[in-house]
Amino acid sequence: MARDLSPAVSAPRAAPARGGGRVADGPARPPRRRGRRARGWLYVLPALAVYLGFAIWPAMNTLRLSLLKWDGILPAEWAGLANYVKIFRDAQLYEAILHSLALIVFFSVIPICVGLLMTALLMGKVRRGMTFFRIVFFLPQVLPLVAVGITWRWLYGESGVVNQFLDLVGLGSITRAWLGDYGLALVALGLIGTWVMSGLCMMLFLAGAQKIDPSLYEAARLDGAGAFRQFRHVTVPGVRREITVAGVITTIAALAGFDLVFVTTNGGPAGQTNVPGLLVYRLAFNEGDIGGASALAVVLTVIVVAVVTAVRYFTRDDAS
Amino acid sequence: MTRPARRAAVAALSVTTAFALTACAGTSGSSGSTATKVDVSTTIPNDPVTLTLAYTNDPPTKALIDGFTRKHPNVTVKPQMTPFNDYIKSIKLAMSGDAAPDIAQYNPGAMNSLVPAGLILDLSPWSTAYGWTSKFPPASLEVLSSDKSAKQFGTGSLYAVPGGLSVLGVFYNKKIVKAAPKTLADFEAAMQKAKDAGQTPLSNGALQVGGFHLWNALLNVIGDVNDYRSWVYGKPGGTIENPAALKATQTLTDWAKKGYIAGGASATADADALASFAKGDSAFLITGNWAASTLETEMKDDVGFFLMPTPSGEPAKVASGASVAYAISSKSKNPNVAAAFLDYLSSPEAAKIEFDGGFMPVDTKAELGATGLRGDIASAFAPVAQGNGIVPFPDYASPGMIDKLTPGIQGLISGKMAPDAFLKSLQESWDGHHGS
Repeated sequence: MARDLSPAVSAPRAAPARGGGRVADGPARPPRRRGRRARGWLYVLPALAVYLGFAIWPAMNTLRLSLLKWDGILPAEWAGLANYVKIFRDAQLYEAILHSLALIVFFSVIPICVGLLMTALLMGKVRRGMTFFRIVFFLPQVLPLVAVGITWRWLYGESGVVNQFLDLVGLGSITRAWLGDYGLALVALGLIGTWVMSGLCMMLFLAGAQKIDPSLYEAARLDGAGAFRQFRHVTVPGVRREITVAGVITTIAALAGFDLVFVTTNGGPAGQTNVPGLLVYRLAFNEGDIGGASALAVVLTVIVVAVVTAVRYFTRDDAS
Repeated sequence: MTRPARRAAVAALSVTTAFALTACAGTSGSSGSTATKVDVSTTIPNDPVTLTLAYTNDPPTKALIDGFTRKHPNVTVKPQMTPFNDYIKSIKLAMSGDAAPDIAQYNPGAMNSLVPAGLILDLSPWSTAYGWTSKFPPASLEVLSSDKSAKQFGTGSLYAVPGGLSVLGVFYNKKIVKAAPKTLADFEAAMQKAKDAGQTPLSNGALQVGGFHLWNALLNVIGDVNDYRSWVYGKPGGTIENPAALKATQTLTDWAKKGYIAGGASATADADALASFAKGDSAFLITGNWAASTLETEMKDDVGFFLMPTPSGEPAKVASGASVAYAISSKSKNPNVAAAFLDYLSSPEAAKIEFDGGFMPVDTKAELGATGLRGDIASAFAPVAQGNGIVPFPDYASPGMIDKLTPGIQGLISGKMAPDAFLKSLQESWDGHHGS
């Protein structure tokens, strides 16, 4: 019985329910098509101008600057690929990339798991107080990251709340200034990211799960599927697109993150939490090496695009 | 909901636009040295004159402006204040623009690219006319003088003069420590005593500059001042890899091992270290006199100040310090009036304003009548300044030095970096900037 129904369960996405389906091609287009098209461009123009002026052009300019030797004031000189050669010879870059890849675990993998778990626990069971849960878990997203970072720096401090709690439960022997610990600073930093990102993932998944047709759950239940199987075969496939979105957003936050690291550890102790964004900032604003900073920014962009592409590939919808 | 993505986009955008904006300035502007001949004069006209002054440190800037304009009622000075974090980043652009301020607060480390760009005036003619070398402490002018490429300090021409000095030393809690230690060994003994009594000996903000300020204070009394000067000024052949610097570094490592430096210093910001010392959590705090007003308010009479004691016990002759300095734009239409303002900074009446603003006065012989903590600082500072013993902080040695110092000290404190490897990493940054 269960087997008979399983295809229906694994293909829960009835197109109209998702709302994202394409409307069928309309009748043949009217003859005054060209005029209409020009008018269309006119509507798009303001947004396009902003996008070109503030996103595309600066990005192109960064690419140009990465090929120059420039301190920000004196006339720039052509440097070719020298800036790239220089940053690739610096062992710091590889360490920083490794750190940010490790942060993906804390910024993406764990929050997505936590988000799914929370969704499973809240879906269909909590009738009252749902808004309360949502607000509480989404709160970290509303706070500015700089405030989050400074607060966590105090929580993690030597006499901070984290250590007070450990003392209370009899783990006084392992207390330390977590962000100042050579081996554990990166993990401590990552857990801040987990705290920030989990709520976002949960919100996305809850929104996605609410669009799943309740009859699918009912059918699964009739077939004797327990809570876990319902979650595995109904909820998870139902929120696949949301998982992709969450994966992309959180991965970008992990790789291109700067503000949180800057205020909590500034790359310390002894470079253990350096991330590429921090190195870009230092090159540009401490050392005045705009060319090198731009080259590093370009490399960082390539890495982000590569990883995001990979995330999208692995979470792609096989059906479409 | 897409807040992180949007934030990333905004961050990327602002960085790229910053680059884009600077791009225009770099490629079109900066016509190099606008060498308009100036008739140097020490008298200023009686006609109404308006100057603009860009700065970030207040006090003392605004009070100094008021003092100067009271003396010269026909002169109006328009203040342009920028918060510290943005000042360095924006001032370079402002100085290369057409509406450049006449006078700008100057940092010889972060802003020295203004010198090769010809955007600030060579002050040598005014220095001769006013006799500034005898009015300002010579050591305070050395770091404001440089060659044309601005790579080597203490040589070439003068580009700015100070309007307030700072000095690095040790604050102590009088409730925990009865009297200021006289020798380095006494200091260590006092820290050991505090530790044995269950107190934190030393608060330190090694997340930011506190860590290398501690190292710097040790280097001042253990290291060789001439070696340090030639290194920090960027003189050819300068090196920090010398036995005395190694000994100073080793001392810091030993202090960390003995538990004198608060655990978790690497994750403590300077402001947090200051706060914990002010609360009475620790016996000592090594920082500059800029912390004095906060500590006076918080701790009343329970706080004192001394310079890092020497191993032999003779009074310290060397201490690190910086200055609030001012330079004149080469685009200024009234350089003589601007120079008169700079000269005013060395006057006895300006000395009072500078001291009240929390800085050490440029006129080191001025009668200040200070008591308590300020009195401690003034009496420790005067002999060093008069003996030409103020040296710059080590992050002036090269633009990327601060990014070697802060993580390096964290490595020393956590025992993950050896003292010689630390000095080597500093020298690598030096060699990269000055050439080995």
